[in-house]
Amino acid sequence: MEILLQLILSGVALGMIYAVVAFGYQSTFATSGTLNFGQGEALMLGAMFGLSLAGDVMGGPYLNYWLMIPAVLIFGAFQGMVVEAVGVRPAIKTKSEFGWIMSTIALGIIFRNVAENIWGKDDMPFPSPISSTPLHIFGASVLPMELMVDVGALLMMVLVELFNRKTIYGKAVVATASDRDAAGLMGINTRMVITFSYALSSMSAAFAGVLIAPITLTGASMGAVLGLKAFAVAIIGGLNSGMGIIVGGILLGIAETTTGFYLSTGYKDVPGLVLLLLVLAIKPSGLFGKTAIKKV
Amino acid sequence: MKLFKVLISIIAIGVLFLIPTLLGDNEYYVHQMALIAIYAVLLFGLDIVVGYTGEVSLAHAGLFGIGAYTTGILSWRFGVPFYIGDIASIFVTALFGLLLALPALRVTGPYLAMVTLAFGTIAQILINEMDFLTNGPLGITIQQPVLFGKSLNEQGYYYVVITVLLLSMLLVGRILKSHYGRAFEALRGSPVASDCMGVSVYKYKVFAFVISAGIAGFAGSLFTFNELYIAPNTFNFDLTILFLLAIIMGGRKTRLGPIVGATIVVLLPNLLDDIGLFRDLSLAAVAGVIIFVLKHFISGQRTIKPLIIPVVAVSVLVTSAYRLQDMTNWRITIFGCLILFVVYYLQNGIVGWIRSVIGHFKPEWVARSLIKIDPNKELAHAVEGKTLASADLLSAKKILMQFGGLKALNEVDLTVFKGTIHGLIGPNGSGKSTMMNVLTGIYTPTSGTVSFDEKVISGNKPADIALKGIARTFQNLQLFGEMTALENVMVGLHHTYRSNLLDVLLQTPRYRREEQQARERAASILKFVGLESFINEEARNLPYGRQRLLEIGRALGLNPALLLLDEPAAGLTPPEITDLIDIIRKIKEHGITVILIEHHMDVVMGICDNVSVLDFGQKIAEGKPQEVQSNPKVIEAYLGSQAS
Repeated sequence: MEILLQLILSGVALGMIYAVVAFGYQSTFATSGTLNFGQGEALMLGAMFGLSLAGDVMGGPYLNYWLMIPAVLIFGAFQGMVVEAVGVRPAIKTKSEFGWIMSTIALGIIFRNVAENIWGKDDMPFPSPISSTPLHIFGASVLPMELMVDVGALLMMVLVELFNRKTIYGKAVVATASDRDAAGLMGINTRMVITFSYALSSMSAAFAGVLIAPITLTGASMGAVLGLKAFAVAIIGGLNSGMGIIVGGILLGIAETTTGFYLSTGYKDVPGLVLLLLVLAIKPSGLFGKTAIKKV
Repeated sequence: MKLFKVLISIIAIGVLFLIPTLLGDNEYYVHQMALIAIYAVLLFGLDIVVGYTGEVSLAHAGLFGIGAYTTGILSWRFGVPFYIGDIASIFVTALFGLLLALPALRVTGPYLAMVTLAFGTIAQILINEMDFLTNGPLGITIQQPVLFGKSLNEQGYYYVVITVLLLSMLLVGRILKSHYGRAFEALRGSPVASDCMGVSVYKYKVFAFVISAGIAGFAGSLFTFNELYIAPNTFNFDLTILFLLAIIMGGRKTRLGPIVGATIVVLLPNLLDDIGLFRDLSLAAVAGVIIFVLKHFISGQRTIKPLIIPVVAVSVLVTSAYRLQDMTNWRITIFGCLILFVVYYLQNGIVGWIRSVIGHFKPEWVARSLIKIDPNKELAHAVEGKTLASADLLSAKKILMQFGGLKALNEVDLTVFKGTIHGLIGPNGSGKSTMMNVLTGIYTPTSGTVSFDEKVISGNKPADIALKGIARTFQNLQLFGEMTALENVMVGLHHTYRSNLLDVLLQTPRYRREEQQARERAASILKFVGLESFINEEARNLPYGRQRLLEIGRALGLNPALLLLDEPAAGLTPPEITDLIDIIRKIKEHGITVILIEHHMDVVMGICDNVSVLDFGQKIAEGKPQEVQSNPKVIEAYLGSQAS
């Protein structure tokens, strides 16, 4: 029983990471109808960049963990803008869905390969900013870092939600999301909003990267499967439902930790991917999403 | 011209078979050549999905792996000969393709890309983990293939692979030229129109994907015996990217493109090993960009913006080429950059680009293979409606169509009698087009039923409704733009084919006869709507008014009992409208019932037998045109009530 609780708590932490990355998918999909297929790589770059600042891989540490986070956020935002400018904007202009899918995939593998060449192919440990002695909650031992992941993820999502609701810039984002053409006609610079959404998307992925890095290992290949599973979460929750991704993330996180424990760690990625196939087969708009009406 | 093509093909085939002799006994190069051929076979299949149906599949490395492992396991565990392994691989992989396609192809675009990626990842994980079957990460080593009791060396196997390559080139070409190929192209051109022509988008996408998977499995099986050792790591995400790069770089929708693409991706790593050659190539790229920049300025443009990316890219390329001593580790980055380059500057791939250059000088060399049809031959029964028993052909009862809180149709009844032209009018936003979509199955009504020929059809799929005899045109034109006028109509005639895949592959007399009949009938239909001079013209190049007529022609291909025309006169010039009225009358004379949505009142009043008027989702009047015209409610709906 304690073990199950422990698996659930670890699963929730993992799920919150998925939710944060999935949140990034949602933000670009809402404003531009596009997704960054290199979202996992954005997470990886964030973690690697954070490690270079706060760890000793690049001759550091230069900053402590907490001061490193704002730097990583800025880095993530910048990386997102690059993806948008190089991979997405030209494709939006030519209305080529194939174009942005392929170019964000291409950028993703370029980032991964560059990271491999800078930091090597091996996984590295990330120094934990807080005590790594497990806490005991109802008999289950939990890493303090896992709790911090939950708090950090929720905090970020609340902040963005507040930004959207309370500020005029947030309203521009919401307006663009609900009707890009109409928003453009009302004088909103929708191109800028799309760039912003990409910055936000990669920023949240980079943030997720430094949150999860102390729990797992950090390496150039950490992003690929994570990005895919976060997409599964975005689909399961629905691409337009904020609550959905949290529920979906937690669901998947728990499914994964329990599979890893009871079956084999080799199979831990399977339930998420199978769940993705199932949800798309049964309810493509996700468990919490609204179905779009097609116009003829 | 034809002789020329045959000659070129014979020479090319001859060279392919002579290569091992020419290369002497350099086993490495023979092996690489075989690998190119194997990748090319896979790419023929991938092209069906990427080029024809226009979807991105990231599952093909996984499918390739499944094929490779099917043969590998059969050979390693049971000593099954390679040709039986090949056949088993085709079927096993096609089955996996089907398992993936059935759920996955309900979605498209980015969703599908992600789902296929998930599938590919699962396939790799399972191959890795199921070591009782696959020997896990250690991989499988197998013996050289044996044919007629003789063990085949590199060279011998090369001949096998080349034969397979030529054969699959021929067979895939046959599929894509047939009604199946037209269906694939149509569903990319306009999914909704395909469905309304009785060509179920879902069904044909699944079909395309399964064929593609089978071919991938076949290629995987060939791969196993070429390498003689397979391990799970081979079939990873990078391989999928490699395949996609090859297909888009070589050129989509051609048979030559895959071969060019495969050659590039196989030889590129060799090239990167040779840093000197890479440096030379980067200088060539600089020359290319300089020409591009000069051309840009000579052509009178002064904007700098489009130049930034090429110039930056090429400077990065040259700097890295001369700074780095070893390019091997940067292989993936180079692939990524190539994808970006192709996506933005070489959309049609190398073959497509060469074709467009040739087309600039000798257009007739690259024109779509023209179909020759005697224009004066007109079939008597080209335009013919299904004969159905009941007098009231269509009856819709209490149709309610709700979108959220909006009632686009509010309990509307509509009865259409056989052999009449029934007008459906009303101000903008009154629910006419919604009604159209309900009748053709694009929307399922919230409540109420539609019966056609006394059978309930509401809730059926659009393709099924179309095949029952309801055809339609679209207010916003939904032609298959890249297909010719004749081919557009032939998609409408898809239902006349009884030939199956085997008929197409073997080109049986039945298939040839059906194809010939469909062509002749399509030509006659085009003559019927007055488009006989546009037979081989691509639909997107037709003048606007002609495009509207082509939509009608395509719908007539279905042998409809009921034809729904959604604003056919919109955007037409007065003489074109006169032609249109004649055509609609002729359609009625051929026993086809018509529902006509139209804003041109003279058209409606001139040819309709009955008219129904909708306003805000409700039917406000119905009757003979003259009665409706003088109905005060109708006048109020159109012009507003008098000041009160």
